[in-house]
Amino acid sequence: MAQNDSMLDVAKNAAALAQRCGARDAAAGAYRVRNVEVQWRDGKVEKVSEATTRGLGLELYVDGRYASVSTSDLRPDAVERFVEDAVALTRKLAADPYRALPDPALYEGQSSVDLDLEDPRYGELDAPRRRRIAEELEAAARAVRGGEAILSVTTGFGDTQAESFRVHTNGFVGARRVTDFGMSAQVSVKDPDGRRPEDWDAASARHFASLPSPEGVGRTAAERALSRIGSRKGESAHFTMAVENRSAGRILGFFLGPLSAAALQQKRSFLDGKLGQRIASTRLDLADDPLVPRGLGSRLFDSEGMAARRFPLFEQGVLRSYYVDNYYGRKLGMKPTTRGMSNLAWKFGEKGRDALLADMKEGILVTGFLGGNSNSTTGDFSLGAQGFRVRGGKIAEVIGEMNVSGNHLELWQHLAAVGNDPYPYSSSRTPTLVFEGVQFAGV
Amino acid sequence: MASNGLGRRRFMRMSAGTLIASAAGDLLTGCAAGQPRPGGPTDGIGYFARFGVTELMIAETLGAALSRGGDYADVFFQHRVSNDLALEDGAVNRAFTTVELGVGVRVVKGDQTGYGYSEDLSPAALKACAQTAATIADGASRAAPQRFHVASRLPQRYPLKVRWEDIRPEQKLPLLDGVNARVFAADPRVKKVSVHFRDESGAVLLADSQGRIVEDAQPMTLLYVSCLAEENNRREQGGYNVAARAGFEFYEPERLDRVVREAVARTTILFEASPPPAGEMPVVLAAGSSGILLHEAIGHGMEADFNRKNVSIYADKIGKPIAKPFVNIVDDATNENARGAINVDDEGNDAGRTQLVENGVLATYLHDSISARHYGVKPTGNGRRQGYQFAPMPRMRATYMLPGPHKKDEIIASVKKGIYCQNFTNGQVNIGAGDFTFYVKNGYLIEDGKLTRPIKDVNIIGNGPKVLEKVDMVSDDLQIDEGGWTCGKDGQSVPVSQGLPTVRVSSMTVGGRGQG
Repeated sequence: MAQNDSMLDVAKNAAALAQRCGARDAAAGAYRVRNVEVQWRDGKVEKVSEATTRGLGLELYVDGRYASVSTSDLRPDAVERFVEDAVALTRKLAADPYRALPDPALYEGQSSVDLDLEDPRYGELDAPRRRRIAEELEAAARAVRGGEAILSVTTGFGDTQAESFRVHTNGFVGARRVTDFGMSAQVSVKDPDGRRPEDWDAASARHFASLPSPEGVGRTAAERALSRIGSRKGESAHFTMAVENRSAGRILGFFLGPLSAAALQQKRSFLDGKLGQRIASTRLDLADDPLVPRGLGSRLFDSEGMAARRFPLFEQGVLRSYYVDNYYGRKLGMKPTTRGMSNLAWKFGEKGRDALLADMKEGILVTGFLGGNSNSTTGDFSLGAQGFRVRGGKIAEVIGEMNVSGNHLELWQHLAAVGNDPYPYSSSRTPTLVFEGVQFAGV
Repeated sequence: MASNGLGRRRFMRMSAGTLIASAAGDLLTGCAAGQPRPGGPTDGIGYFARFGVTELMIAETLGAALSRGGDYADVFFQHRVSNDLALEDGAVNRAFTTVELGVGVRVVKGDQTGYGYSEDLSPAALKACAQTAATIADGASRAAPQRFHVASRLPQRYPLKVRWEDIRPEQKLPLLDGVNARVFAADPRVKKVSVHFRDESGAVLLADSQGRIVEDAQPMTLLYVSCLAEENNRREQGGYNVAARAGFEFYEPERLDRVVREAVARTTILFEASPPPAGEMPVVLAAGSSGILLHEAIGHGMEADFNRKNVSIYADKIGKPIAKPFVNIVDDATNENARGAINVDDEGNDAGRTQLVENGVLATYLHDSISARHYGVKPTGNGRRQGYQFAPMPRMRATYMLPGPHKKDEIIASVKKGIYCQNFTNGQVNIGAGDFTFYVKNGYLIEDGKLTRPIKDVNIIGNGPKVLEKVDMVSDDLQIDEGGWTCGKDGQSVPVSQGLPTVRVSSMTVGGRGQG
């Protein structure tokens, strides 16, 4: 097995091999990823790491039975044995009439938009450049006012180049090449009371040139950490809750997760039976959009080879679509949309975070959730939270060690405002969100 | 949780330690490996001889790794095969199998690390990994050992009767079908059941620049049952899972009875349960998986890397009293067949029992080699890694509190108004601020010293050192939980265990609803 074997050939050969072993159909995926990272701490290199990783995954349809297998041992004789064993194992399972590759019609109509996911200048990055970025992140963190309280700064820069191929025995062939660049800074500071609060900032992009300056990221990490000094518990009460854009993805994720057809079919979704109903305030207008150029979740085809299309999730708070894959779609009698989220497209509001705080006057700004969980069947959630009290429309005292609890079916009806400030370094692109009447637990 | 390497870069930041109860749906898979060859040309290379690994290869790799100097280098081979059989809607109709095979080469200079890894075990690929790792150093080359020795016989903490490679799927399928039938039969309200059965086998091999070589076979098994019940147009979900470094014999009738019983009971009680009030109150933790309290409140904070970097809230507390004198907390590798047990850590160091808190005094950190050298102490066998793609760092194994002087009944009776927490899903901690949380799935309100109405779905938050001070009653009924817990730190997951006797914390913030 040569290092330069085409991963497309690996995928094609695996699909063909599966059929030779007796599978009626197969879907093969093969990938190669090069990852380089440098981590920097308090003035020197902490860690350097580099690797090229390869792997093969195979979904097998054998005598009406299904299995999904993967291996990183790509020596040809090992792959041969692996696929033989996997087909033999699959024969021992119970038949499942709902398992089949997607109808080939679903592969058709792929957009011809150039998603621009691969930076042609990827190869120009070298070790000194990566190191310089990590150094600049730290220098910016240490330069902020109040920086004498800084105990430690850890920064990092990493980049990835990945190619993957999918081959289905009913005619689908797809290729995908992406690059990823990311930088981060984490700062710990000394609180006079003995605690050592920490905070971070980070940025990531498909193209190197789209990254913000390290100076801004390092500075923000330090300012955020310093702002945690003196954190106290607030009182237990109902508050208007503003969630900052970069933290909103967590609570949104708990709300959208139960849109999956798997959850619906297994009766573990509080959104079951709610298509066409208004389950959020009219301010929630959200679509799944795979075709955003340079988007972190963008794709021309999804994990089942289906042509990727934009579709609405919520329109003025009304639920319009579920995330339906082929298998659970067949079980439910629903047309497939796509299995998992790509990017989210929002109808943004008019105001940014500070203007929204001015509007809400009194409440809590949440800048981080800690642990906690959400029950996909009932919609109940309870999360650790930290942030700031908002008084007179402005950020006031720093608070933490609190919980926020509720039920999504109630929470999102009380979505009072959607900001105009999407967090650019995630595929969900969440803006600041403001909810009224939220239960906080503290003192 | 682990990423699958498909094009997403990992942030390097030190992420807050997370602990997750085993969830079905990961694609952990494996397939059977061949027979190990007895003996072999090098003492210490038994399992990995089948992949063509030789003493010469290892010596050459270490030579390349030390070509620019450095204090230490190691080579870590891993082969892991996991099989997952899953039952849904009444039939075992899906299987997931994964094979991981790879090698990681590490060079350490002071507290700095160079790392390279590959799935290709050819000499050329190993050399490339070694050259990458070597870039952390920039001095004169050092000689690599030419012969390797097995330092000592490893303990055998995960004896099993029959290797997983020798168990056929036909033997496992009836277990899943049987559990499914029994769960449905237990209560007519049960409408959906899913059962996952996982087994892992394989081995790791660690060889280092001191000429040490260590090989360890590492089995693991897990059974996860989840059910969905319906009553009066309401639905509730719950479940139970068990895990161990054990063989098929782990699934003895008494354990399967318990799995079925608990999965159903923990689900159906939720129809009677409601959230507790919000605010500060005494919290009593039931014996067993509430060891999550320790894992989050102090376990991560005591990992030595956070402390030598000066970022943990425990960084200046060694030797200081931080809890009452009857509080003793250990992190242990030796519990036979436990999920968190290891025979040796992933740096080849002996792994035993490490006492974090001794009679209320903070005694020792959890060390990997880098931290042990920094502090001038012996390594404690906590250097673990998720796999060959990762450099090791201090991680927990089985973390628990020793029995104390009180009794469970007296602890519950002592609480006028508080909660009793029994089952948990996950937790997280910020080790610098010290704030930690855990999420309670099942429990009870305590009113006037008695358990009254059931509670559910509530997050509890506290501050580590403060909570330890507030542990004011510890019972004698230590239980180490048999569940499948997974700890995440810095993008790496490792299996762990935890335990606790019944314990009272005088005050924590309960994320309930409404005033009490």
